[in-house]
Amino acid sequence: MTRYIIRRLLWGVLLLVVVLALLFVMFYILPTADPAKLRAGRLQNPKIIAEIRHTYGLDKSLPAQFWLYLKNLFLHFNLGYSYYSNAPVKELIFNRLPATLSLVLGGAVIWVIAGLSVGIISARRAGSRLDRASMGTALVFVSAPEYWLGLLALFFFASDIGKIHLLPGAGSYVGLTAEPAKWFTSLIMPWLVVAAGTAAIYARLIRGSLIETMGEDYIRTARAKGLTERRVVLRHGLRSAINPIVTVLGVDIAVLLGSSVLVETVFDIPGIGRLNYIAITHSDYPIIQGTVLFASLFVIVANIVVDIAYAFLDPRVRYS
Amino acid sequence: MRALRTILLVAFVAAVMTTLAACGSSSSSSSSGTSSSGGSSLPAGVKNPVDESLTGGKKGGVLNEVQAEDFEHLDPGQAYFQLDYQITNSTQRSLYSYEPNTFSQTTPDLAEGEPKISDGNKLITINIKKGVHFSPPVNREVTADDVVYAFDRVANPNVANPYYLGYLESIEGMKDAKGGPIPGVKATGKDTIQIKLTEPQAAIVVASMVLPWTAPVPKDYAAKYDAKKPSEYGNYQVASGPYMMKNNSEGKVLGIGYQPGKSLTLVRNPNWNASTDFRPAYLDQINIAIGGDANVIGRQVLEGSDMVQSDAPAAPIVKLAVQQHPSQLTISAGGGAGDRYVAVNNSDGPFKNVNLRKALWAATDREALNRLRGGKTVADVMTHFLWNGIAGFEESGGFPGPKVDYNESPTGDMKVAEKYMKLAGYPSGKYTGSETVQVVGDSSAPANNVAEAVNSTLQKLGFKTKLNLVEHTVMYSKYCGVVSEKIDVCPNVGWVPDFGDPQAVLDVPFNGNLIVKNGTNSNWGLVNHPKINAAMEAAAKVVGEKARGEAWAKIDEELVAEAVAIPYQWAKEAYIESKNVNGINDYWNSGTFNYAFTSLK
Amino acid sequence: MSGLGDGPLLRVEDLHVEFPTEDGVVHAVDGITYEVARGRTLGIVGESGSGKTVSSLTTLGLTRTQGARVSGRISFEGKDLVTLPDRELRAIRGNEIAMIFQDPLSSLHPFFQVGTQLIEAIRAHRDVSKAAARERAIELLGLVGIPDASRRVCEYPHEFSGGMRQRAMIAMALANEPKLLIADEPTTALDVTVQAQILALLESLQRELGMAIVIITHDLGVVAEMADDIAVMYAGRIVETASAKEMFAGPEHPYTWGLLKSVPSLSASRDVELVPISGQPPSLIRRPSGCHFHPRCPYAQPDHARIDPHLEPVSGNPAHHVACLLQSEQRKRLWAELAKGATPEQAREAVGLPAPETDLARTGA
Repeated sequence: MTRYIIRRLLWGVLLLVVVLALLFVMFYILPTADPAKLRAGRLQNPKIIAEIRHTYGLDKSLPAQFWLYLKNLFLHFNLGYSYYSNAPVKELIFNRLPATLSLVLGGAVIWVIAGLSVGIISARRAGSRLDRASMGTALVFVSAPEYWLGLLALFFFASDIGKIHLLPGAGSYVGLTAEPAKWFTSLIMPWLVVAAGTAAIYARLIRGSLIETMGEDYIRTARAKGLTERRVVLRHGLRSAINPIVTVLGVDIAVLLGSSVLVETVFDIPGIGRLNYIAITHSDYPIIQGTVLFASLFVIVANIVVDIAYAFLDPRVRYS
Repeated sequence: MRALRTILLVAFVAAVMTTLAACGSSSSSSSSGTSSSGGSSLPAGVKNPVDESLTGGKKGGVLNEVQAEDFEHLDPGQAYFQLDYQITNSTQRSLYSYEPNTFSQTTPDLAEGEPKISDGNKLITINIKKGVHFSPPVNREVTADDVVYAFDRVANPNVANPYYLGYLESIEGMKDAKGGPIPGVKATGKDTIQIKLTEPQAAIVVASMVLPWTAPVPKDYAAKYDAKKPSEYGNYQVASGPYMMKNNSEGKVLGIGYQPGKSLTLVRNPNWNASTDFRPAYLDQINIAIGGDANVIGRQVLEGSDMVQSDAPAAPIVKLAVQQHPSQLTISAGGGAGDRYVAVNNSDGPFKNVNLRKALWAATDREALNRLRGGKTVADVMTHFLWNGIAGFEESGGFPGPKVDYNESPTGDMKVAEKYMKLAGYPSGKYTGSETVQVVGDSSAPANNVAEAVNSTLQKLGFKTKLNLVEHTVMYSKYCGVVSEKIDVCPNVGWVPDFGDPQAVLDVPFNGNLIVKNGTNSNWGLVNHPKINAAMEAAAKVVGEKARGEAWAKIDEELVAEAVAIPYQWAKEAYIESKNVNGINDYWNSGTFNYAFTSLK
Repeated sequence: MSGLGDGPLLRVEDLHVEFPTEDGVVHAVDGITYEVARGRTLGIVGESGSGKTVSSLTTLGLTRTQGARVSGRISFEGKDLVTLPDRELRAIRGNEIAMIFQDPLSSLHPFFQVGTQLIEAIRAHRDVSKAAARERAIELLGLVGIPDASRRVCEYPHEFSGGMRQRAMIAMALANEPKLLIADEPTTALDVTVQAQILALLESLQRELGMAIVIITHDLGVVAEMADDIAVMYAGRIVETASAKEMFAGPEHPYTWGLLKSVPSLSASRDVELVPISGQPPSLIRRPSGCHFHPRCPYAQPDHARIDPHLEPVSGNPAHHVACLLQSEQRKRLWAELAKGATPEQAREAVGLPAPETDLARTGA
């Protein structure tokens, strides 16, 4: 197992390098804006552009830039500096990470709980009105754009601009350590919005998975033992039905950590997604590279964690 | 298999992030709703920056400012963006400044009085005020040496100032400067600096002194940061104005007073001496929150208190403000708000022919194009190339513009267009040449709609066209204004001048002498008419606002006579504030808020 | 099925089980009646789809969750299991009546240790500590012949061999010393050599613990050794029932004959459920008219498609019942021919029966 994890981690590092290389090539090949020209603004002077190129190391060859980036990354864990604020990218990312983690992990707790409850109830009452109503609602949530849900939530329930002054609205986010109570209340709406779509997907997933599992022979065995239906469903049924959820959960969290830009924007939460978004509108490549690197890292680590979790969840799985 | 899945996921995440950002950037440019005073009246109750009273505000209070966009460069040597100016204007004292309600009349700021120009426009002497002090941790009084250093560092590649060669090339030694002392700039006393020029270009050099780069920088403190590549002074900068970005004892601003993409905090500069400044500086503190959705923050501002929004509100918010909160809405027309026009290639392709350019001008429904960008409330139909609030505007025709037939109908006149098609050698009134017209536009709404409309006007005139819509920044950096790309029509370009001088409006976009062969030009139509070029070189040397206005008005008339581009919009910018805020907006800076004049009621 | 002692342990009376589906009502069990006395073994034999499994699942109430419509009576120690509330039925399940299933791998939860599953079975009905239940689990595993039980109790089902798994299943079923064990195809999924071991184990456990067994199988060979009585099911009904001895000595129903002729040899693959008789089992939604077996019966006569036979005592043997429209004499002669090794056609000719009118149902063979 340990050897397996080490091997996976090494593969992960290699994968990161490949992702970075692709990014470098992408910036180079795709018709994106030249950062030096952007910086030079409206008075394009070739001399100034050349100076800017030199100052930011953009005059070096692509492989040389890439090598320098890798060297800084692996030797000094230095992700470079923003073209605009000149702030270290690493600092910016670590500064934003708590907000995004708060948003995504809190959202994940909600969507798992909501998805599981609705999914289980629907599966147990498959075909009933309750089942159809909740699956219909789920479909609405799956199809509803987060951004729109977020705006809707704000216009109805935000304490400043809502119809009902219920919960802190956009821009109210504070750090967990600064003011825990405010942190919590300010995140309630974002959590619900982040969770809505995924909870709906999970509910459908759990429902299907549980219905399938409940037809298994070992469920019949559990019933034949004289266990209560509750125990049959929650212990024997769910234990198997949950497996596909665990797989997607890890990856969903990882993906969202890198791409929660919409909810972060609507609720004005200073997270990774927004950092990346602003960087892209500015062609601030070092930040884009840094955020994509982190997002990729999340996905890679999540995959490894999922695989390891799988080995614990399913005793038949053994890695070597 | 698993590895492949991971790769795909990683690629997916990267793609999502890029796509999201692409969408985002389009919406950010699309939401720049402007508000029009056609000819130029504003909706009832809406404030106009040029009419606002600059005195009598209440002292004290904390203003909360929200803006969807981030700042770009806050180092006064780098700042070149209206949001950045908003900060530098209240933290830095450049030699000259504008009061909020003007874009032509400068006020001595750090300078003591007007500059002395001598030696046939080749020597500028400026005295600076006594009693101006840097903020902590520098604390000491500002001297002429600090201004000289500001001149030095603007040419320092580590500072990477983007515009200095455009305005300061004539300063002796500036062209070859690399950050060291510039031979033509000297402190001749504690309070006096002297600037020697190699060409008689004093007017433009002085005009550019309203930009933040002339703010004093203490060399003893800043040199170590400027030695970094790139310079880190922006993150350790000290203030000379009434406010400063919150910093720590070392002077570090980054992560304390400024968290990129997140927040910026302005506090009072304890060393500021009110008697030296024309700014009242009513507020005690300004908290700026960066980010958020324009529709949400717009409502927060209109319905909340102590708030302003510093970038353009979303179109629905402007509408809401006009209808329900007109007194909380400011619309800035002309001045620093900029313009929009259709650039046509004057140097290559079919539009080398002046009559085809006139035909396109005549055929274009300019009102329709403006409707696509928000309609009358947010735009005036543009009839020539200077604009309201700039010297020379009235002389070259005011709002109606020059009396030429192709400018007569703002909704387009196909008869006139036909006349010029015939003059161009197409007797049928339709273009019959073989070339396909290359049109490159901005892919995001509403600019893309404008591009489509222009494209269909071209087709109405018989042109075969190829329309290519790309991202805003790509359009500017890869296509429009790039000589080798041979783009015929760029329907989505526009210009905002760096300062309120007719040269700043017309020179860069239309002076053929400035065209670079390899690189991008802001002369998107590659306008290059020797007669006009020569007139511009001469007008650059004219001194005095009135004389300059007259000289550049003539050039404006020539530009119209040559139909060098098809102008369609004098933009207006809208800004919103909470009910209890007495917002003062800078007419010279597109109408953004001026923190040193704004107060709470 | 002689009533020994104080009446039968289990008595099933006119049991009907129907499943409403989109295609129509599935008549899975269609009025069956049987008894099991304490300590005795009943073999229920039939092809898949004959209703034998459904009837025994219904005994435990396990068809309730599948939306089954059940009528009739299932008396177990004086309680009617058809109408018994869920809670009381659950107290019987796994406690007084236990069940083991065909495929021990799929019947054990793959994610729980074998021991855990055993402990759960014990603690579902006994208020004992986990540690005590664990001791008991190890003891049970030893009882069913799993060596090194104290170690293997911590293993997962996939670490057990097929036979071991079925032993573990049996251990689980025996956890609460049931009075009745229902074994549904307990050996079908196992190697032939293991089959014999499992059957021997069941027999010895029955002797030791004195429980009654209902063994359900498609394979008469399995019940030959074990069962005291045998019921043959076809299309949801019992078509013949007798003591094991009688059944093998003088089977009366053509379907039973088919089954007897197809007892698998040792070399047969265990995966293939042998089709004892040509043709397919009938649809339980649209069952054949008359005698449900007539489309496959080599001896069917025209009126057999109209008349529905009843289970009636065989002449001279009131404990032997059969539901067949052939005359008693004809049946005896047919079996005599078949027992000599004749094919059904030869037997039919020898007895002088005309060929069935349609051969359609036999084309599947």
